[in-house]
Amino acid sequence: MSSREIYLDYAATAPLDPRVAAAMTDCLEREFGNPSSLHAAGRRARALVEAARARVAARVGAASERIVFTSGATESNNLALQGVLRRSRNRRVHLVTSRIEHKSVLDVARSLESSGVAVTYVSATPGGWVDPQRVVAALDDDTQLVSIMHVNNETGVIQDVRAIGEACRERGVLFHVDAAQSVGKVPLALAEAPIDLCSLTAHKLCGPKGVGALYVAPRVTLVPQLHGGEQELGLRAGTLATHQIVGMGTAYELADPAREAPRFAALRDRLWRELAAIEGARSNGDPERRAAHVLNVTFPGVDGESLRFALPDVCASAGSACAADSPEASHVLTGMGLSDVLAGSSLRFSLGRFTTEDEVVTAAARVAAAVARVRSLAPSAPAWCSA
Amino acid sequence: MEYSSAVERHFAAPQRARELPGGSPGLVAGEAEDRTLHVWVRFQLQIVDGVVAAAGFQVFGCPHTVAAASAVADWLEGRPLAQARTLDAKAVCAELEVPVEKLGKLLRIEDAVAACCQ
Repeated sequence: MSSREIYLDYAATAPLDPRVAAAMTDCLEREFGNPSSLHAAGRRARALVEAARARVAARVGAASERIVFTSGATESNNLALQGVLRRSRNRRVHLVTSRIEHKSVLDVARSLESSGVAVTYVSATPGGWVDPQRVVAALDDDTQLVSIMHVNNETGVIQDVRAIGEACRERGVLFHVDAAQSVGKVPLALAEAPIDLCSLTAHKLCGPKGVGALYVAPRVTLVPQLHGGEQELGLRAGTLATHQIVGMGTAYELADPAREAPRFAALRDRLWRELAAIEGARSNGDPERRAAHVLNVTFPGVDGESLRFALPDVCASAGSACAADSPEASHVLTGMGLSDVLAGSSLRFSLGRFTTEDEVVTAAARVAAAVARVRSLAPSAPAWCSA
Repeated sequence: MEYSSAVERHFAAPQRARELPGGSPGLVAGEAEDRTLHVWVRFQLQIVDGVVAAAGFQVFGCPHTVAAASAVADWLEGRPLAQARTLDAKAVCAELEVPVEKLGKLLRIEDAVAACCQ
């Protein structure tokens, strides 16, 4: 990263914390054993895996044995949705999710739909909130699973997973939560929450890429999606990536929302104060329900791709990094009622452990200059370019 | 998304992104847009003795569209109006190494120039 470059894309991924890197390096250099082996080298690796599992479990308020390691939140979402909904054959099965979920839920839902699963996609409010009453209204006698993310990856809006989960419990419906954007940023206490399945990742909280986990509540049974071994309670075959898991454990130990979220909120508010001075700028997502680390802003009259191109030294996203190559406007913002044009004129800024106040102030100044430059290319543009 | 050095150069310094002074004899203007593609282009040409003496443009669109409008404005200046009518968006696309899926946006530049030449 050049010295000029300012990284404000922690919701896409985060830099590895040096303490995580040290723990992983130590593991790579010392412990190569297969955690499933019964000999001494295997048992030492197993001990590292179990210590990491305990750290992950502690961060999300769950019992260690309920944590299943995976390759990341995408795999966890696949295991949760397919693991529940492919259990039943020869009967109607219904899934309820929202229109503003991550692609790793929506694409699985569409795949399940093509296999005969009925899916209801609940709309969000203009503030990006999934009203629990709308979820409840979508439930029917065949609903087996509801899947709603905890914190939206594009707007940072926190969904009321407790209310949705309680409604699901009352009706005997399983509830899955994608917590990839919330873990470490917003408190989670899974053992006490009405949540049956919860997807977790490491790389968004300064851990390594390529590792994640699925929390599976005690009474839940899943059909495994990978076959070839009995690892992870038989739910996820494959040799455990010990060093990755050690990194995840360390990252989860370090990521304390009580300590970090107030700092993120102060930085986010400072960034918004600076950006709000840009003519027409408006933030997206209900400000009363937002997590501290995400700020999504629309700059009317500016093509989003041109804005990002004019900002090579400010790393921010149009939306989900997983959809960055798509020419389509953000389904989250359009799902909240923004036009395709305005959704395309939006940038997501996301902050993290190593973000400084100096960086957010400098980044805002660069954004203001870039917006002015791109707008200057079309001073007589018709109204639809800003609406 | 990949951007060629030519796109980077034009986007960084689109020299003819400007409004030509209105009211002068021989000044013509043409616009084109595609709302589904999020592109709007406006060209102005100052015609003197059948030759494009000056070109200016405004553009709302992606970096490829901005760069293509800039390259076309550069190309137009000094050319007879009859030659301006032969502008080929595909050739601009190739010269700037614009991905083929963006051709639809560049065709609006062709349309705007054509509107100037009517």
